[in-house]
Amino acid sequence: MNTVKKINLHLFTLLVFFFLSLFVGCEDNTLKKPDSVNPGSQPKEKARTMGESDREYIRELAREFAQELRKEIGSSVGDVKADQPSKEKTFTDFSGLLDESGNPHPLLAHCSDSVLEFYLKHKDAFQISSINQLPKDLQWEDGSKEDKFASPDAKRGGTWKTFMSDFPRTLRTIGPDANGAFRRYLLDYNGVGLVMTHPNSDGYYPGLAERWALGKDGRTVYFQLDGDARYSDGQPVRASDFFFTFYFMRSKHLQAPWYNDFYGKDKFLKVTLFNKDTLSITYHSSKPDLVERISIRSIPEHFYDELGGDYLKKYQWVQEPTTGPYVVRKEDIKKGQSVTLTRLSNWWADQKKFYRNRYNPDRILVQVIRDPSKAFEVFLKGDLDMFSLSKTDYWYEKLPNDHQLVSEGYLTKVTFFNQVPPPSYALRINSSKPPLDDLNVRIGFHYAMNFDLVLQKIFRGDFERMRTVADGYGNRSHPTLQARKFSVDLATKFFAKAGYRDRGNDGILINDAGKRLSVELLTGYKHLEDVLVVLREEAKKAGLDLKLKILESTAAFKTASEKNHQVVFSAFSSFVELFPRFWEPYHSDNAYSPGGKEKFNADGSLRSDIVVKTSTNNFTQTAVLEIDQLIDQYRVEESLKEITSLAHQLSKLIHDHAVYVPGWKKPWLRMGHWNWVAFPEDWGPCETRDYAEFQVFWIDEDKRLVINEARKNGRKLADQVGVRVYEKHRINL
Amino acid sequence: MMRITLNPLTLRKLQRFRSLRRGYWSFILLLGAFFLSLCAELVVNKRALIVYYEGEYFFPSYGAQIPGDHFGLGYSYETNYRELKRVFHQRSEGNWLLLPPVPYDPYEMDYRETDSTGFSPPSWESRHLLGTDKTERDVLARLVYGFRITFAFALGYLFLTYLLAIVAGSVLGYFGGKVDMFGLRLVEVWSNVPFLYMVIILVSVMPGWWGLTWQISSLLLIMVLFSWTGMTYYVRSAIYKEKAKDYIAAAKVIGAGSGRIILRHLLPNVISTLVTFAPFTVAAAISSITALDFLGYGLPAPTPSWGELLKQGVDNLRIAPWIVSSAAGALVLTLTLVTFVGEAIREAFDPKKFSTYQ
Repeated sequence: MNTVKKINLHLFTLLVFFFLSLFVGCEDNTLKKPDSVNPGSQPKEKARTMGESDREYIRELAREFAQELRKEIGSSVGDVKADQPSKEKTFTDFSGLLDESGNPHPLLAHCSDSVLEFYLKHKDAFQISSINQLPKDLQWEDGSKEDKFASPDAKRGGTWKTFMSDFPRTLRTIGPDANGAFRRYLLDYNGVGLVMTHPNSDGYYPGLAERWALGKDGRTVYFQLDGDARYSDGQPVRASDFFFTFYFMRSKHLQAPWYNDFYGKDKFLKVTLFNKDTLSITYHSSKPDLVERISIRSIPEHFYDELGGDYLKKYQWVQEPTTGPYVVRKEDIKKGQSVTLTRLSNWWADQKKFYRNRYNPDRILVQVIRDPSKAFEVFLKGDLDMFSLSKTDYWYEKLPNDHQLVSEGYLTKVTFFNQVPPPSYALRINSSKPPLDDLNVRIGFHYAMNFDLVLQKIFRGDFERMRTVADGYGNRSHPTLQARKFSVDLATKFFAKAGYRDRGNDGILINDAGKRLSVELLTGYKHLEDVLVVLREEAKKAGLDLKLKILESTAAFKTASEKNHQVVFSAFSSFVELFPRFWEPYHSDNAYSPGGKEKFNADGSLRSDIVVKTSTNNFTQTAVLEIDQLIDQYRVEESLKEITSLAHQLSKLIHDHAVYVPGWKKPWLRMGHWNWVAFPEDWGPCETRDYAEFQVFWIDEDKRLVINEARKNGRKLADQVGVRVYEKHRINL
Repeated sequence: MMRITLNPLTLRKLQRFRSLRRGYWSFILLLGAFFLSLCAELVVNKRALIVYYEGEYFFPSYGAQIPGDHFGLGYSYETNYRELKRVFHQRSEGNWLLLPPVPYDPYEMDYRETDSTGFSPPSWESRHLLGTDKTERDVLARLVYGFRITFAFALGYLFLTYLLAIVAGSVLGYFGGKVDMFGLRLVEVWSNVPFLYMVIILVSVMPGWWGLTWQISSLLLIMVLFSWTGMTYYVRSAIYKEKAKDYIAAAKVIGAGSGRIILRHLLPNVISTLVTFAPFTVAAAISSITALDFLGYGLPAPTPSWGELLKQGVDNLRIAPWIVSSAAGALVLTLTLVTFVGEAIREAFDPKKFSTYQ
């Protein structure tokens, strides 16, 4: 009897432990270094003391169990890979990849078998030719006509102290979680592509390629690599790395469909190597900005060798060797706190014309500060060097011109007028969701949005109203179109046309069926809540009830890309490019499947059995046959004149379709910096979107000491107010 | 008909509570504030109390909104009564209206009448007694309406958590044995579900077309669902203790059913344990809804809430100190009052008359 009881008790305890362990597992969500990355360091054995609770013990057990399981799964995946019979060489010779005896071309001698196999499989996309085959009549360009944009006064050295709102989840630049705020330090501020677009003109300047030439077919660009180009680990950049780039970018192991698509074989048709530093890349169509589109970066083949299922895990915390000046050293990653980047002492491009006097700080300290208002306080303390002051309350209230730090010469506030397509802050109306499927409701909705009051009160008249779906593209933007202005009369008139005639007790319009005119407005911008609050209160006057739904930004984006929203307030950052994109946000192929014209009836209306397509940027669910046809034409069009005319027609059609309520744009960039930070005379190139983009500033550490000393003693440094406006690139509309 | 008869012991406890003046007056004050906030529309509102217009009286405080056209203002949306007052004054045609002491509601942005773009400091002339927030809404109005919502929320939370905890606790305690063993394990498992994550997840999937009342009630339900377990243990152990007593055995012998025993005999005797916890549960509810709002996972914007005010205040500490001081002051005051009440109840229900707390 006693034994039975004991067994019962034992079983019972096990059951409890099982349940508990199920749940304690949830709490263990801290970041961990994968063991494989860091084979040298042993995981620390956690000292367990006698008095510790059972709970802690169970947690430990659960962790061990999970690790075992992970190992188990890992090894079984490994086994499967080893079993794959891919080692056999049965290649035949073509495209110059193999010689007669079946050996790879000397340029590809270092390639692993699976990489080589990939090239051979896509024989028409990867070719090796001889240097004699290079067209003789190429017009080589090297950007020597362009002016440099850095200042000769720049001083090398010092530490640039900046912040990020969250610790990066990975040091990869591609794949899940890679698209975080830290990536700009690894890529945007740091990467060098084949050819770089000049930020002050429509021209280009050399990157990895020292010269380039446009082919006769208008779709091919020839590049000659700079012999000095090196990765941060000292290895030279090889022409074959541009083969590898496509192997890499098209790999499913990256788990990055956007990259798979961007580098897809329908876009980049062919890469040809001529010798160890000459190559050409062929694009699917001729575009006015072809060089820019084709100028990809190189992926270091010697570093990856080949890709496998362990890509994500293996490279989670290692920085890929870069062609840029900054590297992350392993000892500079402080989990959860900061990452520091260090400048290479012997960077290959250091003394090149367009790179000299740029990338000046020796170190970049990126600290985690989760709360922006806290970061601002840290900035005022002097522990951050620069701070974006684009937001109105920061510019006017938190750091007014008469703030002691500004008026006494410690800090400078800068307004810089730039010329870039603005991020498209706008309300995007899902035209498939009632009541917004009615054009009259949508037009009424446009008239019910009081953006003028928002601009006047929340942004103090500093911003301008955006006019169309594609502002900021020079004469490719529609010349005369205007956004609909707030008008209670017009809004109610259009709502009445749609059947919403009477006002209910709360002043909201109702239709004959008794349905209230209520629309959900989704956003992921918690910091722009005020804007929506103003729009909501003003929309009430027009009898429209807006229900605000403010989510965390990724959740909001997910909801919208699943097309579960009615109206979403969002902004897409626009690339600095020649003409706007219409296919992603307005083509019916991004709204419904099946693709093409099959989704339309003979009269141009939508069929009833079509399926909503998710995970696309067509947040408006626009599916209009006429718009589709124009977009199709626009995408294949090669003459800039025709492109311009089509862009105008499309802007007008989308305006009439009323699915996009243009928000605002700001024609400038505003920031504040401590006076130990210095900028060139013009402050920066005209295409600057954020103050660090072109890395032309420098940090004067001696001045930092002087300023900090003066601050401690309460000494004034200057009499004039430190406010500067750079209007060289101002466009007067 | 059931007659409510208070057991003389309970009566004595109540008398004792009344005699503890600090707690008693806190209780009266809180209750008074809550009832006052229930008719806040008469004190803090943008709508006028009485309008006399061309021989007719209007009482706009409650009911359907009256469009501006009605008073000859020339617009179809709701009348701005402050503007109307000025118009009446200028025209002096014998029309008049009476505004509430604070003529603002918690949603309205007072942009029109001032040049201000937000953060107006407290002022008597503009009747923004505690200043305005970043979109020029009246801080006092948002505090008052926020109090109403928060307190109602806390009371609802109290009622529902107690309901669930009492049901679960009495079933476990009364039946004991296997029911208790398995039931209690389930409760333990349930209490391990991370509460904050669940709230964040569920709030994000809540459809926005739900009305405000629905959204608030579902938030309440979510919070209750994940926090009723704490009280269960107390109920269970109290029932365990009580059911071993002779009078329960006597009731069983007479043939009383389980339901009757639990409801008529056991619960009245364990209720005193629970009552002492009540004010602290209210305080916990107030602080957790405020914390959730502060983090941005609470009540949907632009519902007036204390957490949202606190967040604004903290973000704009230097430029608008009146926001954080009002919100924090109100929070501290309310929680202090609730704690005083809790202390008094605990003391009143303590079987030992003289005890010292250390």
